[in-house]
Amino acid sequence: MNGSAPQEVSGRPPSGRLVATLRARADQITVLLVLVVAWQVLSVAFGTYWIGSPVGVLTRVMAGIASGDLLRHAGITLSEAVAGFLIGAVPAATLPFALRRYPVVSAILDPFMVGGYGAPKLALAPLFILWFGIGIASKIALVAITVFFIVYFSAQAGVRALDIKLVQMAQVVGANERHLARHIIFPGAVPYIFTGFRIALPYAIGGAVIAELISSNRGLGYLIQLGAMNFDTTGVFVALVATTCIVFLGNWSVNALERRLLRWRPPSDVRMQAGS
Amino acid sequence: MALLEIRDLEKRFDGRSGHDAHWVIRGLSFTVKEGEFLTLIGPSGAGKTTLLNLIAQIDGASGGQVRFQSEIAPIGDPKALRPGLSCRIGYVTQEDNLLPWRTALENVLFPLEVQGRLDAEGRARADMLMRAAGLAGFEHHYPHELSGGMRKRAALIRTLVYDPPVILMDEPFGALDAQTRTQLQEDLLRLWNLGRKTILFVTHDIAEAIALGDRALVLSRAPTTIAGEHAITLPRPRDIRGIMTHPDFAALYQRIRAQLQ
Repeated sequence: MNGSAPQEVSGRPPSGRLVATLRARADQITVLLVLVVAWQVLSVAFGTYWIGSPVGVLTRVMAGIASGDLLRHAGITLSEAVAGFLIGAVPAATLPFALRRYPVVSAILDPFMVGGYGAPKLALAPLFILWFGIGIASKIALVAITVFFIVYFSAQAGVRALDIKLVQMAQVVGANERHLARHIIFPGAVPYIFTGFRIALPYAIGGAVIAELISSNRGLGYLIQLGAMNFDTTGVFVALVATTCIVFLGNWSVNALERRLLRWRPPSDVRMQAGS
Repeated sequence: MALLEIRDLEKRFDGRSGHDAHWVIRGLSFTVKEGEFLTLIGPSGAGKTTLLNLIAQIDGASGGQVRFQSEIAPIGDPKALRPGLSCRIGYVTQEDNLLPWRTALENVLFPLEVQGRLDAEGRARADMLMRAAGLAGFEHHYPHELSGGMRKRAALIRTLVYDPPVILMDEPFGALDAQTRTQLQEDLLRLWNLGRKTILFVTHDIAEAIALGDRALVLSRAPTTIAGEHAITLPRPRDIRGIMTHPDFAALYQRIRAQLQ
């Protein structure tokens, strides 16, 4: 009597979906192999002096992990990125909620935010090093400011995309401002905030690495700089591989967290966004 | 004294340049008695939703008066509006407006939660209504996992669960197929019989207006006024599927249709 039952959302039976996923993984591995082979060919063609070979890089990565050296440098870069990400992203995600009640303040701030978003943050690195020294504080500051503007505009878009009809519904059934913020505005903005997180993540790690490149004595950026100075391209590639691994790890964590928090979304939406 | 009184109600939407103001409602008056099931029939664009928004105080009138019990809705100050009048006027809107991040049951419990009445009694009532509306087994489904008819039911019982004395309904079954629609109309009458609330039910479907209401008001095109009023004396309880064969039905239908044109 209730008409069509709703279970048709997944489109394919679970086994069919598993096959499709495995298929996609297999294709991805093929592409990876092609890239590695191309890399190997290039390193043979130009010589490992210019392009470190994949085999050499892998050996060095293993050695670096075994000695703990690579992990130590990666750990420093990772902690700079994580600390900067938190310091930048948390206020960026909350500020638009606070500003919602003060449209005048929001309008005044807007052009400055747009300016901050547009300004090339990497150009600030020398300034931060001047202010905060060559330790990790200057790297954290650079990451934080880069992440802040990206997440701020995403969260703002989420707050502005609010469906006024849901607000009216909630008010009619007795919701006050606090209820609206907690039950309507925040959950509605979460998908937008996560989009911001996902965009900001590579910038956070890239920001930390580049700040280290400019001036530091540890971290993956330092390894890149050291490798380049010693004409050791393999060393540079080792640091790049480690950086990429960190980006993958971060992306995976954001996706896992998002899948948990956004269970309510139709699966097609989630897959479209998370399929990276 | 009538429970709800609308007098000389006016609503104007100002155009972009100010001088092309557009009257949606002008000189509209009617009253609603306690426990009455009043249906309002009007063509599309007759300002039906606007009228309900004014009564629910989601929007403010431009002139005239909306009185509920002894309270008169404020005019001209949107901040003074009290949407839902402290939960005494429930509103089932055209779209279901379920919160997509809450399951069916969590949506139904939402009013109780924000009203601080989420106790064992409230949960039991929600359970009873979910079952009565055929939603048993779908408590933990998210809205996107429910069919259109189920979403409508969930939206309807979200309002019934906190038992407001007056319920406004804005073409709640408009977008459904005929079969589901009849089913929901029957459900609604059954639920109404349990507690005889005051209902203002807006529709553009003459048959629906006759089948459900104690009284039907025909609205004109914008600016909206009352074009006609009809007492519906068909006996209750009514059989929705058989009502069209009732001897009084055809005459009433014709009279209302003539006024709609």
